[in-house]
Amino acid sequence: MGSMNIGDVNKGSKLIFDNAPWNVQEVNFVKPGKGNAFYKLRVQNLLTRNVLEKTLRGGEKCESADVNDTDMEFLYQDANGYNFMDQTSFEQMSVSTERIGDDKDFLLENSQVVVTLWNGEPIAIRLPNTVEMEIDYTEPAVKGDTQSRVMKEAKLKATGATVKVPIFCAIGDRIKVNTQTREYSGRVDK
Amino acid sequence: MNQGSGLRALLQRRTAAVAAVRSFFAARDVLEVDVPVLQGGANLDHGVVPMAVETGRGRRFLPTSPEHPLKRLVAAGAGAVWALSPAFRHGEQGRRHSPEFRMLEWYRPGLDDAALANEVVALCQLVTGLDGPTTVLPWREAYRTFVGLDPASADDAAVIAACGPDATAVAGDRGAALDLLMATRIEPRLGLGEWTVLTDYPASGCAQARLRHDQDGWPVAARFEVYRNGLELANGYHEVTAANELAGRFQLELDQRQDPRLVMDQGLLAALANGFPDCAGVAVGFDRLLMLAWGVEDIAQVQAIPFAEA
Repeated sequence: MGSMNIGDVNKGSKLIFDNAPWNVQEVNFVKPGKGNAFYKLRVQNLLTRNVLEKTLRGGEKCESADVNDTDMEFLYQDANGYNFMDQTSFEQMSVSTERIGDDKDFLLENSQVVVTLWNGEPIAIRLPNTVEMEIDYTEPAVKGDTQSRVMKEAKLKATGATVKVPIFCAIGDRIKVNTQTREYSGRVDK
Repeated sequence: MNQGSGLRALLQRRTAAVAAVRSFFAARDVLEVDVPVLQGGANLDHGVVPMAVETGRGRRFLPTSPEHPLKRLVAAGAGAVWALSPAFRHGEQGRRHSPEFRMLEWYRPGLDDAALANEVVALCQLVTGLDGPTTVLPWREAYRTFVGLDPASADDAAVIAACGPDATAVAGDRGAALDLLMATRIEPRLGLGEWTVLTDYPASGCAQARLRHDQDGWPVAARFEVYRNGLELANGYHEVTAANELAGRFQLELDQRQDPRLVMDQGLLAALANGFPDCAGVAVGFDRLLMLAWGVEDIAQVQAIPFAEA
C-alpha cells in the first residue's frame, strides 16, 4: 500500500513482512549515543497469530499493509462459509470456515463482531469478549453447591461447542463464556 | 502531561536537580554560561542528525549538544565553563530518547578524560543519590566480556554473525553490527550496581576526541561514556586541539553523509585555529540523569511537556 519510514511506525501500525500482514505490538528505539539507530519491533502475524521480534535499522523503509477493522453483524452460515453484514455500508461479505477457525464455537447469529480486512479481503474476526449461550446438555446438576470449583463438561446450543462449567449448572441454564479463554464466567439469572 | 500537584512536584524536582548541579560547579570554580542555540554550522557526529532552521538571515543549525559554542568560549580564554542547554536530534524518539532534551555540558582546561570521568561520576552521585564503585571498562573488553569477540581481531563476518537473527538488519555493515551489539547485548549489562566508565573507543568512533594507543598498540580514542543501570548518561573526550585535524574529521563525516543541507561549523574551526588549551569536555543527558534519579523508565516522565505533547 506504499512505503513508510521505520521512524513513523507506531504501536498498532500494520506492516508487510514476507508477503503477510503484521500488527506492530511494540516499538523500541535503541541506539548507542553516536552510532546507528535500530528499531526493535514486536509484531504479530495477522494470518497465523505468530508473534516475532524484528530488528530494523534506522532510515529503513517498511511496506505498510492496507488493514482495516470493520464492525459487522454475523448473519448465517452456508456452504461458502460465514456471512457478515457491514454495519455502515450494509454490504454482505463471506468469510471462509478456515479463517473463522475455532471462533465458530462462539459465533452467534445476529452478534456484532469486528472483521479485519486486508486489501478488502477478510482475514480474521474478533468476537465480543463474552457471549451468552444456553446449555444443551450436561450431567445432572448438584444442587446447592454453588461454591464448588469442581467442573464438568457442558455442550452448548446454537454451535455445539463444549465448555467446562461448575457442577451446579443444569440443562437449559444460560451461561456467560469468555471467548478468549473459552472459560465459563458466570450464570445468567433466569 | 502532568497536571496540578504532580506537575508542581515534577518542576520542583527538576529545579532542585539544577540547584544541586549549580552548587557542584560553584564549589569547583566552573562558571555557568549560556550559549546561542542557533549555530552557523552543524554538529557532525556519526549517527547523530542535526535539524536545520531558516532564520530569514541564512540557515542555522540546532545543536545536537552545546559542544561547539562552549568550545569557542574555551578557545577564547573563558576557562572552565558549564551550560545546561537544549539539544535536538533528528528522529531520535523512544523511551530513552526525545528529539528535544537538555544537555548538561562542561569543559575543564587541564584535565584529561580519566580525571573528567571521575568528576562526572561525582556529579551523577550528587544528583541521583546513588553510590557504588566506579569500574573503568575498555570498549574492546566490553565486547570480549559480553559478546565473546574482540573487535580488534574479529573479521567482519564474525562481527555480523554475532548479531544472530538480527544480522539481516545490519546488511553486512560491520559498524552497524558493532552498534547493534552495543545497544542490545552490552549496554543493558553496564552500570549494574556501579558506575561503569566505558573508555578507549575505537579510533573510528573518535568524534572530537584525541587519539592514542591501548596497551596492545591498537589505536583508540580518548573518549568515555558513563553508564548506570544500563542507561548511557555521559559522553566525554580529551579534546582534539588542532583545527585542521577536526576539519578533516568533519569533512570525512560530510563525505559519508551526502546531506547537502549540512555545512561545517567554521566559527568553531576558526576559534580552535587561534589556540585551544589542553582540555577535557563532557556532555551529560540531563533528562536521562533525572530518569535515573527518579527511577523511571520513560523520558517523557521527567519532562513537564514531553515532545509528543509539545
